[in-house]
Amino acid sequence: MVKAIEAYGIPVVHIATVVPISQTVGANRIVPAIAIPHPLGNPALTHEEEKELRRKIVEKALEALETPVDEQTVFEWK
Amino acid sequence: MKLELGIIPINDIQFGPESKVENGTIYVNADELKALILEDEALKSVELDIARPGESVRIMPVKDVIEPRVKVEGPGAMFPGVISKVATVGSGRTNVLRGSAVVTTGKIVGFQEGIIDMSGEGAKYTPFSQTNNLVVICEPVDGLAKHAHEQAVRLAGLKAADYVGKLAKDIVAEEVETYETVSVKEGIEKYPNLPRVAYVLMLQSQGLMHDTYVYGVDMKQSLPTILNPTEIMDGAILSGNCVSACDKNTTYHHLNNPVIKDLFAQHGKTLNFVGVIITNENVYLADKMRSSDWTSKLCKWLGLDGAIVSQEGFGNPDTDLIMNCKKIEEQGVKTVIITDEYAGRDGASQSLADADAAANAVVTGGNANEVIHLGPMDRVIGYPEVADIIAGGFDGSLQKDGSIVAELQVITGATNEMGFNKLSAR
Repeated sequence: MVKAIEAYGIPVVHIATVVPISQTVGANRIVPAIAIPHPLGNPALTHEEEKELRRKIVEKALEALETPVDEQTVFEWK
Repeated sequence: MKLELGIIPINDIQFGPESKVENGTIYVNADELKALILEDEALKSVELDIARPGESVRIMPVKDVIEPRVKVEGPGAMFPGVISKVATVGSGRTNVLRGSAVVTTGKIVGFQEGIIDMSGEGAKYTPFSQTNNLVVICEPVDGLAKHAHEQAVRLAGLKAADYVGKLAKDIVAEEVETYETVSVKEGIEKYPNLPRVAYVLMLQSQGLMHDTYVYGVDMKQSLPTILNPTEIMDGAILSGNCVSACDKNTTYHHLNNPVIKDLFAQHGKTLNFVGVIITNENVYLADKMRSSDWTSKLCKWLGLDGAIVSQEGFGNPDTDLIMNCKKIEEQGVKTVIITDEYAGRDGASQSLADADAAANAVVTGGNANEVIHLGPMDRVIGYPEVADIIAGGFDGSLQKDGSIVAELQVITGATNEMGFNKLSAR
């Protein structure tokens, strides 16, 4: 899906837990996710902590969308 | 470490007033075994049934398959850390009731459970159509949490296999198989010119009812480590998972791991079988990276020339497989990987979710997406309606006449990634 959307000239960020698979399938902008059963959250955290975590991922993804890339790039967040 | 397996061929299972093994038949006092299993308060009811090769019987949804065995000599007992106390198993002698199995079923635990057909088309795809099966049908108490349900059915199967196995404690084996591994130092002295080969056994450990237990330890909480191959024959590794039926390693598969058997057959002849490295398949990328680092480090440390890597399950574990392969190859150790394929119903799609040029020697268990037709059976043990929801099934899988149209992945053991299956391109 990432590649098909990009074929229309629309940049795509792939938020994915298993970064190597994302690289294998050819995503250009990759943001690491948390874990396979819960890619965008972490049930071990409090609601407040989880919200902060989610915001970080989304903000990193938006930053990745705005960043020109000329090769497959992983945008790490802390 | 040296283990003798005393093989006792079994041709039939029957219910009877006294539990015993006699002239190749297992007799089970059903009330006694049911009472033992029902000691677990998580279970509301337990029924027992028997399914024999060639019968018009379907068992579904199947959770685990276990071969009954009993320790006759040597430390420990079967299934250490879970059914028996923790002790290092894998030496002495173990009696095996070959040709029999305990199969667990009942209300579905997780959607990734399977089908065993004792005859017809489906029987060709599962090795458990050839075993005399004591089927344990477990129903949980109302409102039991999923993970507790999984544990209850897992333990019920192991208890039943332990109960049946113990009936063979004093039976004289018809044939004795001997398996021995020596220390690293002795191996180098004894076989200086043979290539050193180890088996990297990947264990499903994704959590949420996708777990494997080693001496009672949940493998997702462990780092990769080393086992003697004979420990596995005594039940050191137990399946606790509901991963897709076709490529889950049941406890039976672990006890009878064909990679281990074949490596032993070549041990001292064409290669030196150094041992088994077990590793996990976790859901965090950091775990995948750490475990594959560790596995490759152990391969290097053992001074290996070659490693055989087998996978369990599919999808994200493909990455664990490829990471293991790539990193072990980078250590200068040749690898062969064993996997299966999800290449679409026409077989034309990419087979694995991940790939690398280092994976240049691959054995496949077959394409799990292949559509199969299973004819109706006279009798179904369990719940046929789950055909529509188990992995590989779809809305309408269960037909009006009782036949099932589904992907091959619904069949227990069909594309097993240890090579314990019947598919062949020949």
